[in-house]
Amino acid sequence: MSKIHIKVIQPNQIRIDEEYDHIIVPGVDGDFGILTDHTPFITKIRSGVLQLFQNDKSEEYAIHDGFVTVENNMVSIVCDTIEKKNEIDSVRAKASKERAEKRIKSSEEDINFRRAEISLKKALVRLEISS
Amino acid sequence: MANLKEIKTRIESIKSTKQITNAMKMVAASKLRKAQDNIFNARPYADHINDMLRTLKNKNISTDHPLLAEVSGKGKTAFIVVTADRGLCGSFNTHIIKEAVSHLKKEPNADLICIGRKGYDYFKKNSKNITAYYVDLFNEMNFDVSVEVAEKILNLFLNENYDKINIIYNEFKSAIQQEIVAKQLLPIVPIESEEISKLDYVYEPDEETIIYELGKKYIHVDIWRIMLESSAAEQGARMTAMDSATENAADLIDKLVLHYNRARQAAITTEIIEISSGAEAIQQ
Repeated sequence: MSKIHIKVIQPNQIRIDEEYDHIIVPGVDGDFGILTDHTPFITKIRSGVLQLFQNDKSEEYAIHDGFVTVENNMVSIVCDTIEKKNEIDSVRAKASKERAEKRIKSSEEDINFRRAEISLKKALVRLEISS
Repeated sequence: MANLKEIKTRIESIKSTKQITNAMKMVAASKLRKAQDNIFNARPYADHINDMLRTLKNKNISTDHPLLAEVSGKGKTAFIVVTADRGLCGSFNTHIIKEAVSHLKKEPNADLICIGRKGYDYFKKNSKNITAYYVDLFNEMNFDVSVEVAEKILNLFLNENYDKINIIYNEFKSAIQQEIVAKQLLPIVPIESEEISKLDYVYEPDEETIIYELGKKYIHVDIWRIMLESSAAEQGARMTAMDSATENAADLIDKLVLHYNRARQAAITTEIIEISSGAEAIQQ
């Protein structure tokens, strides 16, 4: 079976540059899988879990805020943050989850509310992976 | 000729100045290396975003999205001036401020956004229309900080009826060379690149949303890149300035040591003359 090349680019490094069998990406409109010979495709991703599969083994990453480009079995993901399970500080994530929830409850201003929402989403994804 | 003690204290003080300038040079050199690495590492990300944006724009999507719109010439203009937070880096700050002032002369009603303490201090005194300022960013530079600045600039652009926002900053050429660049930041003008994929992409949720999000991301990355460039240029300028300061101090020390030795010799000669003439007086 042919493979797809995955490249994950962060602002300060190229994080992943490898071949995988298939991957599952958290898109804005829901998770979607990418197999070989996928049609050229660009979408935004939401905070979620990126799964990479290779020979029945899978890796999971928490990923936040970015774009996916698919072309000719080459998947480029540009994102601000991507973390593996062992990089996540679950204590911190839990604290930030609680902080964000509190802010959402009390916040009236628009922009703060949105920010709290974003950080809540991030914290939830982190907790999901690290547990 | 100054007396011995005076010369000696001067030599000591110049020696300690030299130590400081030399240390600053070393620090600047190591910070420069880090900044250069950062620029290098940021490149793939920036290139990718730029390519995506160009592919989208090339499709001639009939978008009159404000981030990509043409300049109408009706609204206000703003200048972003990127200086350093600290001095002692040669003419780095003065040059960029001069450039900014000459632009402001052409457009006296333009607003100002200052990044870096030096620029802010200057324009605050000269009572220009500062709409926003960000200081002490360069100490702990990371992507999140630049995203925050970029978001605020985007908000200003979208909500305050600006026609365009220009940015003036130092681009890093080499350790001893910086180049002042003045360019349009918003609306976005993607950099021309040859490698544009001709593939017919499917966009999800739709092209408008992607173009908007991508435009925002582009500004995030551009601000990040500009801050990295500016900080590398600053460290380069500081390194050269401190290098020549150290050299000057060494020259000065050499000169003063010569003076000191001469003065000491003169003092000894006078003393000997005094003693010998005293001895002669006794003999007679």
